[in-house]
Amino acid sequence: MTNETERTGRFNELAEAYSTDLYRYAMWLCGNDALAKDLVQETFLRAWRALDNLKDIAAAKSWLITILRREYARTFERKVPKFTDLEKVVIVEDDELEPDDRAERDLLRSGILKLEPKYREPLLLQVVFGHSCAEISEQLGISKSAVMTQLFRAREKLRVQMQKDGVTGNVHELF
Amino acid sequence: MSMNFSEFKKLIAADPRNRDPETLRARQSAPEFEAAAAEAEAFEEKLEGAVHIQPPGDLLDHIKAISQQPVRQRSWIPLALAASLLVFVGAAGLVWKQSHQWENVEAYVADHYSHDGGSVIAKADENFSEKEIFKILARLDATADEQLTGRIKFIKYCPTPDGRGAHMVVSTNQGPMTIILMPNTQVTDGEMVEFDQMHAMLVNLDHGSAAIIGDASQNVESLVGVVRDSLKTGLVDA
Repeated sequence: MTNETERTGRFNELAEAYSTDLYRYAMWLCGNDALAKDLVQETFLRAWRALDNLKDIAAAKSWLITILRREYARTFERKVPKFTDLEKVVIVEDDELEPDDRAERDLLRSGILKLEPKYREPLLLQVVFGHSCAEISEQLGISKSAVMTQLFRAREKLRVQMQKDGVTGNVHELF
Repeated sequence: MSMNFSEFKKLIAADPRNRDPETLRARQSAPEFEAAAAEAEAFEEKLEGAVHIQPPGDLLDHIKAISQQPVRQRSWIPLALAASLLVFVGAAGLVWKQSHQWENVEAYVADHYSHDGGSVIAKADENFSEKEIFKILARLDATADEQLTGRIKFIKYCPTPDGRGAHMVVSTNQGPMTIILMPNTQVTDGEMVEFDQMHAMLVNLDHGSAAIIGDASQNVESLVGVVRDSLKTGLVDA
């Protein structure tokens, strides 16, 4: 790509298309809003530098997720302790949920953060990005059957956690 | 062979939005299958709502600002060459002020402060987490003692001419002032920069530098001693 304006336009399109989902993914991955924002900015900084390597725009989402996951791993290589601040993570949104629904949502959020990374990560890829099991398999480098198992267990753990915390709803019958 | 109920439940628990023909056929095969699928979808809706959090309002603007930077391909060879060049320049007693995205460090300080200096000061919090201060400084290979950390009322990462730095709000008896830590940038020590109604003093540290920024009524030099004594940089190299 030789045209700088075109390059900037392409970058901005990626930012507009994916920054929100990447932030959500980073947030639920690390459980800290400041770190999530930093991870997303670092991801786009690296993406900007390497934008010319992205030949297929259809692969952009997966490419950005890969950059973010590497950056997240690098964070822990530097022995930065994991810091989960639920007060910051559970953002109170101005919505029209009933108190019970809001409590249930907060329990779900808390449950997501309690999931082990091997369950949380495929679940986030599916729920935040709408990845198929095959795409998750490719992204994480694990078999599709392992992805299916982890997704099943992730939801199972969330339901168990919610039952334990007193939210039964009508979905626990599934298991 | 058709799917049994147990297989179906596991499948929809793993992939509730699955719409492949076999799953749809199984779903329609009996009321209990349909009910289980509907329950899974209801749970999924709640899950999707739970992860749906809003990013900070300024995130997209900060990301788009990245594209103001020229492209730099990173590899060990240029980094090593750059390091050698820095040593050479330092030894020659010259000031290295090359800025990659701004014309010079002075322009960066003015541009950066104009961009979000005021809004960052507004975030100052008397009870700002000391843990967060040390965490951010540590990731920049820096630390500080109580002299400075006791005054920091807000800190966040920020871009600098040469990588990531920190933007701090510091409490003083003249009101809040701003310090921008630039861990990889050298400046002309003691140089004053004036812009808008603000002024800044550039201070070299063991590694990198800092800009102390205040408004026209504030004496930024009053913080120089604290910054030099308290802020230790380049810990990894030390």
